[in-house]
Amino acid sequence: MAEKKRYGFVIDISRCIDCRACLVACSVENQVPMNHTRIWVQDLGLQGQFPDLQRTFVPYNCMHCENPPCVDVCVSGATYKDPDNGLVLVDQEACIGCGFCVDACPYDARYLDESRGVVDKCNGCIQRVEIGQQPACVATCVGGSRMFGDLNDPNSEVSIALKNASKVERIDYEKDGHDTDPNIYFINGDVLGTSLQPRDPRYTVSEAGWKKVLVPAIFAGIGASFLVQATYFSKQLVEGEKEFEE
Amino acid sequence: MSHKNIPIEERRRLRTKMIKKHNLANILTHWFNVGMWLLLLPTGIAIISSPRLGLSPVWWQELFRNMFGGAANLIKFHYTLGLIWTFVLTFNILLGFRKYFVPFAFSRMMLDKDDIEWLKIKPLQMLGLMKGKHLPPQDAYNAGQKAYMYVVILGTIGIMTSGVVMTFKEIFPPILKQIAQPVHWVSVFSIVAGLIIHVYMGAVFPEEKEAFFSMFSGKVSAWYARAHHEKWYWQKVKEELEWEDDVQKQVAEEPVHTPEGAEPAAAD
Repeated sequence: MAEKKRYGFVIDISRCIDCRACLVACSVENQVPMNHTRIWVQDLGLQGQFPDLQRTFVPYNCMHCENPPCVDVCVSGATYKDPDNGLVLVDQEACIGCGFCVDACPYDARYLDESRGVVDKCNGCIQRVEIGQQPACVATCVGGSRMFGDLNDPNSEVSIALKNASKVERIDYEKDGHDTDPNIYFINGDVLGTSLQPRDPRYTVSEAGWKKVLVPAIFAGIGASFLVQATYFSKQLVEGEKEFEE
Repeated sequence: MSHKNIPIEERRRLRTKMIKKHNLANILTHWFNVGMWLLLLPTGIAIISSPRLGLSPVWWQELFRNMFGGAANLIKFHYTLGLIWTFVLTFNILLGFRKYFVPFAFSRMMLDKDDIEWLKIKPLQMLGLMKGKHLPPQDAYNAGQKAYMYVVILGTIGIMTSGVVMTFKEIFPPILKQIAQPVHWVSVFSIVAGLIIHVYMGAVFPEEKEAFFSMFSGKVSAWYARAHHEKWYWQKVKEELEWEDDVQKQVAEEPVHTPEGAEPAAAD
């Protein structure tokens, strides 16, 4: 293997008919609870003037960002970017379901499964991909709108589709030096300037306060305590100690 | 301190005479606590992996994740031990609540005027000021120890409750789990800040050597008690004298209670 894998989705917007078979396939494959879904199809509504009308549907899910804000806030390391394949995954045994990541995701691609007390999201059907199958949503897509594969491999289906596309767009979140660099490419259509835009990552009070106030306080407290101890200990070493106390 | 002019004979007597400071329940709970902290603190630090916080070094996280076989196992280990720790400490306190905890709290933990004075002078002395000033006499625990004890008790309650919230993740709402995290670590690290001093003073600092061994034997020499915990020492002496008076009184009263015609017991 010359290069590391970078799994991603390429979505051909012109081919989606809003049948939502992908939502069903995903929920069945991944046992998603009835009141939640891991993936969505956004209806951008009617565009143009009669009789030249167009209606666009944008299927999407977790963007499997290169710089995911959700991983940044996860405290137990339950959410991580898999170094082997580039997918952003959740180790639900390690997740405590605090929801920091749900608030941080600019795409709202995560949800909190309250009955299990964990966070859930698209995992690129890694359990299928590892045995050579396509993710459930891709396998079931009747229009061939959804494609999945290794973006680093120039001969993969996704790379070829990107090469032949008339237009390639990403819903990138870029602000204040933070670039999510998402791994979903939308081709043959327009997603920029639509209602499907990323929001700012939300940092909850406990997460942000913890970072801004408590971490410096902790470092100051422990540092001061260590300094006192170190001073006395070095004094003890330099001056020596009396065998018996006077 | 006044012990400079104690005659040599008296000093010898004080050094060999032992006074009981800790009971077995305290000693066992203390070393149980030590063992649990040694296991829980490193694994806990290894769990905190948020890059935005940057609290624990990545190599440390990876070392422990590899040692335990992944984050999930590491967390399971941490909270299983944590629950045992919570259970045992709670159990011990409830079991010994009236016999040990309440008397302990009242006789050894309350801050009095001398303690306040000590807290004012000692930090300045550590910075090299007010060298000439004498520290007021101290109880079984000095004011610094007492103050730290409050931090430990509050911190322990914080660690336990927030730990339970994060362990039973299906039961508690996300907002509580979010608040529990800073509560957990702030409690831990405020205890750790004092723990550095506690371990140094208890195990390394030469003047406090007896304190370390007393955590095994439960006893300190009268010499040490008088030098470091003067108020407590004189209290003990007073108690001892009262006890002796009692014994003497009983001995004096003894013949009255002997059955008639019985031979008086041979003097020991």
